[in-house]
Amino acid sequence: MKNILVVDDDEDVQKMFKDILETYGYKVVQAANGKEAVEKYIESKPDIVIMDILMPGVDGVKTTKKILRRDKNAKIIVVTAVGKVGLEKDCIKAGAKAFIMKPFKIDALLAAIQKVSGGA
Amino acid sequence: MVRGTEKVREYLEEITEPIPSTILIIGRDLKIIYANPHYYSVAGKRAKDVIGKNIWNVLSASTIERMGLDRKIRDVIETGRPFEGGHAPGDRLGTFYFYKVRPIGDKHGDVSRAMILVEDVTELTNLEERLKESYGKLDAAYRELKDADKIKSDFISKASHGLRTPLTVISSYIELLEEKKIENLEKRKEITKILKVQTDHMIDLINDMLDVSRMESKKFEIERKKIDAKELVNDAAEKVKTLSDLKGHNISLEIPDDLPEVVGDRKRIEDVLTNLLTNAIRYTPERGKITISVIDENRHLHFTVTDNGIGIHRRERKKIFEKFYVGSSAKKEPGRMGLGLSIAKGIVEAHGGEIWVESRVGRGSKFHFTVPKE
Repeated sequence: MKNILVVDDDEDVQKMFKDILETYGYKVVQAANGKEAVEKYIESKPDIVIMDILMPGVDGVKTTKKILRRDKNAKIIVVTAVGKVGLEKDCIKAGAKAFIMKPFKIDALLAAIQKVSGGA
Repeated sequence: MVRGTEKVREYLEEITEPIPSTILIIGRDLKIIYANPHYYSVAGKRAKDVIGKNIWNVLSASTIERMGLDRKIRDVIETGRPFEGGHAPGDRLGTFYFYKVRPIGDKHGDVSRAMILVEDVTELTNLEERLKESYGKLDAAYRELKDADKIKSDFISKASHGLRTPLTVISSYIELLEEKKIENLEKRKEITKILKVQTDHMIDLINDMLDVSRMESKKFEIERKKIDAKELVNDAAEKVKTLSDLKGHNISLEIPDDLPEVVGDRKRIEDVLTNLLTNAIRYTPERGKITISVIDENRHLHFTVTDNGIGIHRRERKKIFEKFYVGSSAKKEPGRMGLGLSIAKGIVEAHGGEIWVESRVGRGSKFHFTVPKE
């Protein structure tokens, strides 16, 4: 069973990710901010990270870089409500493997997870 | 028999007659040798008062001084180089002239005379002024439009961002429910509750955005009815009780019994109070003390909401009333659009009142607002 770390500061969004991912057979670890995300990543070595961008303290782009500095093979999917031009490019440049806008179709999320985990 | 020079003069008159500018030919001694018909008609003078006379005796001293004519004539004759043109105001207020001084040489090329050409450019200058003024107005309007456009696109981008989060939760859960992936009844109940909260959140956001947009386009309207302020304060306190109890706060009311009525929009003023109370509850650590007081001041009722919470830093005190400003403490909570206080300000101002805050970091905040009695 694959382990997914969900990083999002909104409680209901966290819960929603947990419900979706568990429904589809993933195990979920949660972090509410960038600092916690790095700690949880080291602690639980997840297969995939779902990363929010706008969070108090360290934002998602910086957190992505921080995690990749500790594990260059980290598979990070950015899922954000920020529609800023150029953000997707910034995220991919920072090392994210996929970029999804909120709201999304569950199929699109599952497809991205499949894609970044190498089709396995 | 007409002499040659006379013929030349007549010929010259014929050519210069229709020219709507003054032409004067002046000698080294500043005496006028020739003036064209236009000059006589605008100056209302006859040839005998002009020809052979010094310019100081014919033209007004102020004109000569303003144009520096005497000096320019001498310079042009001395150097043989023309003075290509300058502007000067005329004797009559609001009139403007354009003038040139050109050298006239004899058959040997020696310059002993100068020709002055004076054109009335009053109309042109006025036109230019008006054009400049119109351009200024156009430029200002353009800037205003550009600013408004930027505000609008900022607004749309912030609004769409604010709506995306609740929409994500709602659409994902609907998808899960639709695919019957969630069978457990308790779980379904829990999800329904989340859907309700997120839908309400979206409705609030949309209403707030609508208010702000109405306030901006000056289409925000309020009711004007008699309001019992005491009842209003009680209702607002009751509305936030659940939220307040969750944090163990104590809300007390200080309202005199003989409070007069005010005229205004009851629901809207209650919104202002509820907003201030919700902020007080949110930014006061558990078991805080929150006080609502109303004082009857001469022309208005003065409402205050006091808390002993975290307070607001000096540099943020003005900004918190701006739309989309999310204070440093509010940033820690997701889903804040930064519209609440800007709407409160809009409501209070629509009533003709004022809203302001006093605060000390670590000690608490005191929000004030007034509502005129009439």
